[in-house]
Formats: sequence, structure tokens, C-alpha cells
Amino acid sequence: MGSTVEPSAITESGNANANATVKGSSRELRHGRTAHNMSSSSLRKRSDLRLIQRVPCKTLKKILSNLQEVILGTKLNVLFLAIPLAVFANSYHYGRPLIFGLSLIGLTPLAERVSFLTEQLAFYTGPTVGGLLNATCGNATELIIAILALAHNKVAVVKYSLLGSILSNLLLVLGSSLFFGGIANIRSEQRFDRKQADVNFFLLLMGLLCHLLPLLLKYSATGETSTAMINKMSLSLSRTSSIVMIIAYIAYLIFQLWTHRQLFEAQEDDDDDDAYNDDVTVEETPVIGFWSGFAWLVGMTLFIALLSEYVVATIEDASDSWGLSVNFISIILLPIVGNAAEHAGAIIFAFKNKLDISLGVALGSATQISLFVVPLSVIVAWILGINMDLNFNLLETSCLALAIIITAFTLQDGTSHYMKGLVLLLCYVVVAACFFVDQITQNGAVVGLQPMNNAGGGLFSA
Amino acid sequence: MAGIVPEHWSAAENGNANVSAKGSSRDLRHGRTAHNMSSSSLRKKSDLRVIQKVPYKGLKDFLSNLQEVVLGTKLAILFPAIPAAIIATYYGFSQPWIFGLSLIGLTPLAERVSFLTEQLAFFTGPTLGGLLNATCGNATELIIAILALTNNKVAVVKYSLLGSILSNLLLVLGTSLFCGGIANIRREQRFDRKQADVNFFLLLMGLLCHLLPMLFGYVAIGETSPDVVADMSLNLSRASSIVMLISYIAYLVFQLWTHRQLFDAQDQEDEYDDNVAEEETAVIGFWSGFAWLVGMTLVIALLSEYVVATIETASESWGLSVSFISIILLPIVGNAAEHAGAIIFAFKNKLDISLGVALGSATQIGLFVVPLTIIVAWIIGIKMDLNFNLLETGSLALSIIITAFTLQDGTSHYMKGLVLLLCYVIIAICFFVDKLPQKQPNAIHLGHQLMNTAVNAIGKGVLSS
Repeated sequence: MGSTVEPSAITESGNANANATVKGSSRELRHGRTAHNMSSSSLRKRSDLRLIQRVPCKTLKKILSNLQEVILGTKLNVLFLAIPLAVFANSYHYGRPLIFGLSLIGLTPLAERVSFLTEQLAFYTGPTVGGLLNATCGNATELIIAILALAHNKVAVVKYSLLGSILSNLLLVLGSSLFFGGIANIRSEQRFDRKQADVNFFLLLMGLLCHLLPLLLKYSATGETSTAMINKMSLSLSRTSSIVMIIAYIAYLIFQLWTHRQLFEAQEDDDDDDAYNDDVTVEETPVIGFWSGFAWLVGMTLFIALLSEYVVATIEDASDSWGLSVNFISIILLPIVGNAAEHAGAIIFAFKNKLDISLGVALGSATQISLFVVPLSVIVAWILGINMDLNFNLLETSCLALAIIITAFTLQDGTSHYMKGLVLLLCYVVVAACFFVDQITQNGAVVGLQPMNNAGGGLFSA
Repeated sequence: MAGIVPEHWSAAENGNANVSAKGSSRDLRHGRTAHNMSSSSLRKKSDLRVIQKVPYKGLKDFLSNLQEVVLGTKLAILFPAIPAAIIATYYGFSQPWIFGLSLIGLTPLAERVSFLTEQLAFFTGPTLGGLLNATCGNATELIIAILALTNNKVAVVKYSLLGSILSNLLLVLGTSLFCGGIANIRREQRFDRKQADVNFFLLLMGLLCHLLPMLFGYVAIGETSPDVVADMSLNLSRASSIVMLISYIAYLVFQLWTHRQLFDAQDQEDEYDDNVAEEETAVIGFWSGFAWLVGMTLVIALLSEYVVATIETASESWGLSVSFISIILLPIVGNAAEHAGAIIFAFKNKLDISLGVALGSATQIGLFVVPLTIIVAWIIGIKMDLNFNLLETGSLALSIIITAFTLQDGTSHYMKGLVLLLCYVIIAICFFVDKLPQKQPNAIHLGHQLMNTAVNAIGKGVLSS
């Protein structure tokens, strides 16, 4: 692990974006960035424009430099190759598990690029709209997968992947950040501002309440109540709760971007320990134009949708041939891929003892999924006429509850050491092991073995 | 609402309520708790000029006494609801009307009882006064619970007490923190967390007592007969109730004697310009106060009797389930006076008092009223245990945990209040859509058909709004 991070930290010294990110966080917030985006930027590299300068034609030069900024501007660009391969494999009807794997790999760099593009757009839209854009697109991949799975009526996959995403942010991303941060800075004190973390926990606990009530409603029903009636009650409860959750999320955005902005830029005061001799105060400028950024964003989103479509369509086949349950794939594998970029970013900042940013990434992302993506999926399902409620069965809800409570207790005192990270990581391993051995067929949702022929001529055949 | 009402109140308050805000050590000398101090913000100085003109001395005394007690609150306009409720009962008006009027009538009475106990505390000294306050602070809830018990409506008792804890923890605290956060958005809002922590230990202990009998029901395997399980759960509940009462007594000792300094931390922030250092004196005599207290209690009992008797009819004609009425509506009315007081103190950035009101009241119900009810039920031979079904216990557990996390760091902002409020909204929605038949005996059994149509209608109503 150390070997992968060291070079990237060095590469960053030349990297305008990342340095500026670490240094002046108030400047970040002026551009409407959240911690979530800041972490992704650690994966970027300065593109080398020398080759392109030799191209004679002006327009062609522009297009090429633009292309290079966007496609090659990330260290994950090797993984872009998986996208054409997945499309190719799909049109030549290769094995479905292969398509699944390739699509998952292809989604990783796309998730990082979307957050890069929203950040670029924020330069043009100003801080407020930019902040909103970032807050909305930060987990675009998860949202798109959820909506496509809904369109296929795979409610269980939606629920599991969103739950898995929250768990992976809380336990895996946070755990590995605290662990590696603790090992790397074993002699220096690791502090963070707990107020920011606290806000996220109230919201996560509120989300937990919304998941708990429909579950309990189902269990407290006596024999004489018909199942249809319980489902109806649980559905109307879930839908109204979703609206309340979205209201809470909007209030959270107002809190974060307007009224209590100072809570979220607490990491500024540790600027004086400029042990990292980066005296290059590079001004941040947008590297691509507004419309080209917008066009790229639309294009990327379509690609994400295409790959997500493949993922959703082939998940059962992959599960069959790999011998893993659909639960395990949705709760553990999908979120690891979807969060890979943020994960790497959070660890890098933890290495630099900038725990506030790592926490902001992990907790902010968990909150966003729990209070924005989940209720939005319920409302989209409502519009599509699908009966999706907030009831994530017993095992899943208790994992969520315990994950939130353990993490909240871990972060109570505002300091960190590697043991905290290790415990969170091990909790994640236990949860993963639990879903690995869990071969109980899913109840409730129609996961059915639908004919998979819509993978080829699906919604988004590009 | 937030901007106008409290301004008006705080202006009127300068006469009386500031005293309680100012000298809290003096308050404690008279055995006042934060709970009582908040109610005093609803009081107004009565104008005795008219009465001075009355020639006859005995009559004058009597009238001034009457005015002090009856007109001494801003909620005095709600008093006419009491005779109206009685008249409605006599002339056989429809039951939902009686229910509504009785509920309205209970609001000012709850405030007046706390006023009277405070007056009596002047005569009895701090210790006895503190005990009196701690006992009568939630007199309304206690009386409703005991009357519902004698009518054998165990479900109503459980639901109304649970609802009272939830409303104190989430609604009262949530609105206080939210309004306080909005009003003092640029100022730091601090409170002393030690006082809050004591309440949370006790609430968590209460939660344990509710959780264990419930888990009994779930761990029982097929071969155990339900009777055996019910018996075990009953014995456990009765023993736990005694333990809970012991812990409440210990809490009183802790609060009123040994660690009194924890509970008057709000003394040092006296920069509010209330230079009227009024000495507090008793406005009515001991025996007249005592007589009034007995009278008020009787009226509360009468109105509670009406409420308990008409709750099912009201539930049917309003299309709300009994559980929703008991968990949400009853406590909102019962806590109205404390609620207003807590918000007013939050506006003045005196969060310690607001917290004392909300948490103290929740602890009092959780560890005093609930076990006392169990013991009363035991005495009159009713089988009431501490098992508040799954949904209710789950809501209670999560409310306690969320509130405890919210108050961990000793500061506050409006987001905390908002999250608590929204949690209350979610729980209210949950009991609103919950049409499950209750397991307790004597619960109403709505027909299946009726239930389905009700669910449909309500579902549509909720979703379309």
C-alpha cells in the first residue's frame, strides 16, 4: 500500500489542483467544492501538453488538448480501456460474467471523471450552484445504477447496493483511512474537528430511524393482519419519510454551504505546518470550457448509464457463475468499485494527517447516499409505479445500525490512532463475511430470473 | 411564528419570568427545578387595581386570590373550555367535542398546578418543595394514566406515557434547539453537558427495563405457553418498576442535595439588562394554595376522565387511530406549557434551562410516572407490564440515542434541532399510518373493511399533501 501512495504523493507536488486543494480550503469552498470532490483530485495528474503543441491545425489542437485533459487527466485512465472492451464483449455475446467484470472496471475511472467535470463546471457557475452540483453529482454512479436497477424492477439490488455503499463509506473507506493514517503518523498527534463529523451522524441516525420504522411495523403485525395491508402501510410510511429525508438533506446543504460554512473549513488552521514544501501557490483555473465540460458531463453520464445497464443486466449471471450471492455482489463488490476513487483520495489525505478531509469524504458520501440517493430512489420508484419501501430486512438494517453507532463512538473524542481504523476495517470484514455465507433467498422484491435479453438492446445501446 | 410571538412574550415577561431566569440559585433555594422555571415564563403580573376598589376586606382578599390563580397565566383564555366541556357532557353533546374541549381545558390546568406547587414551596422550604415539584411536575400525565388504568385501558396508558417521553425528547427539545439556533445564529450556543448526561443514563436504564420484557416474548420458543411468558414478563416488570423508582429517588437526592451545583450552571450569564431585582414572595397563602391545588387536581381528574372515556369515539369520528391520538395528540397538549417555556429560554440562549425542562420531564415520566403506574396497576389488580411492543420500543430507543448523540459536544446549532424535529415528524407519520390492531385487551377492534378504507383514505391524504 505504501508503495502505491508514495509515488502519487510525489507526483502531486507538481499537480496544481491537488496542492491548491490541500492548502487553501476556503478557496475551495469559494468554488463550491466539498471535501468529497477534493479527495478525488488527489488522483489527478498534470497532463503533458507538449505533444499536442506540435499539431498544426488550431481547432484540432484544441480538441486534442481538451480530450487529453479529460481522458488522460487521471491516474486511473488505464482502466478506460475496459469500457470499449465491455461494449465489444456485449455486442459479440461473450460470457455475461466477463461483461459484468469489465463494466465494473470501466465504471471506476468514470466516477472519478464525473467529479472532475462537476468541479470544472463549478468555476463557471459560481460557488452556490457549484456546491449544489457537486452535492448532487458526487454519487452519480450509485444514483444511476440504482435508477437503472429500478427500471429493471430489481428492487433488492437497489436496496443492497445503496446499503453497501453506506457501509463501505463508513467502515471500509473511513477504516482504511484512519488505519493507514495512524500507521503513517504513529508519532504525531492526529486530530480532527468533531463538529463536522457530528452533523453527519445525526443525519445518518435519522436515516436509520426511517429504515427501522417500516421494518418494525412489519414485525409487530399480528397474525390477523393481511400482508397486503402491512405492505401498504409500510409503503406510505416510506414515501412520506423519503420526503422528510430530502427536506433534511436540503437543510443540510443550506447548513453546509451557507449558514455554517465555517464548520466545514476547519482544516484551514493546520496550514501553518507547511512541512510539505509546496511553495508553488498556483491559482486554480478551469482547464476546459463550460460547454465542452457540459458536453463531456453528458457524455460521461451516458457511458455510466450504459455500463450500469450492463452491470444490472448481468449481475445474476455473474453471481451464478462466480458462486457468490447477489447480496454479496451488491453489498460488497459494487460499492467498492463505485467508491474506489474517493477511497484512494481519503487514504492519501489520511497519510498527510489531514483527517478532516478524509472524514469529510467518507461521512459526507455516506450521508449523501443515505439522505439523498435512497429517498430519491424511493420517489423515482413511486413515479415508475414500483413498490419500493425503506424496509431493508433485519440483517441489513442491524448491520447499518451497528456500523453507524460504532463509527459515531469511534469519532467521539476528536483524535485518532490506528486501532480505531483497524476496528472499523475488521467490522467491515465481519459484515462482508456475513453476507458471503448468507445464502438465504431474498424475500420481498422481485429479483426474479428475468430473461436477460435486454442487455443487448437495452435502454442505452450506444 | 418564531419572530413575533416570543418577542411579545419576553417583553411581558420582564415582570416575573426574568426573576426565574436571573437567580437560579435563589430558585433552587425554593426547591424549583428547571421544569418549573420554564412554566413561569407564561405567567403575567396580575393587575390588582380593580380589586382594590372593592370595599369589603374578606371579599377583596378572596378576589385577589382568585385573580392571582385564575388570571395569572397567559393561557387563561383556555379556561372557558373547562365549563364548556362539563356542559357538553351534561347535555349529551357528541363525544369528539367533549374530547377536544377537555384536552384544551387541560392545558392551562397543567401550567397552574406547577405554579401552585411553586407557591407552596415558599412555605415548605427547599427540600420538601423540590420533592413536591418533582412529583407534581407531570401531574396531568400521571392522573390521565391512573384514570385510564381504572378504565382498564392499558394501551392508552402505555401509549400516552411513551408519547410524552418522545414529545419531550424530540419535539420540545427539537423546537427549542431549532428556534434557539435560528435566533442566535451568529452567537455560540453552549450548554453544560453534565446535566444532560445524567438524564441520558437514566433514560437508557428505563429503556433497558422496557426492552427486557419485550425480548422475553421473542425468545420464547414454541413449547412455552403464552401464559407463562406473560407471567414472567409481569414479574420482571413489577420488580424493575421498584428498581426504577429507587433510581428516581437517587436522582432526586443527587439533584436536590449532593450535586446541586451541576443543576445551577446557568448562573453566570447575567448580562441581560433586567435590573428589576424583584424579591420573590409568595402571592397566596399556604392553605389557600393547598386548597387550590386540591381543587385543580380534582378538575384535572374530571377532564382526564372525559378524555379517557371519549378517546375511542373521537378516534373513530376523526379517522385517527387510538395509538396516534395517545402518542402524539395527548402529549402535545399535556406538555404545551413546558414546551412554550423551553422555546422562550432557547430564544434567550439559555439552553441549560431548555434542556433541563425537556430532559428532566422525560426522565421524570420514564423513571417515575411509568413505574408508579405499573405499581398502581398491580395494587388494583390489572396486569400491566413494561412491554411496549416492538415499534414503540424501537422508536423510543432510537430517539434516546439520537438525542444523546446530539447533545454530546456541549454546543448547539439549528441543524441539531431540525434533525430532532424531523425525527419526531417521521415517528408521528409512522403512528399515523399504523393501523395494526392492538394486542392489549379492551383495545378497539375496527372491522377489517373499515380499516382498509381508512388506510386508503389516509394514504391518499398523506401522499397528496
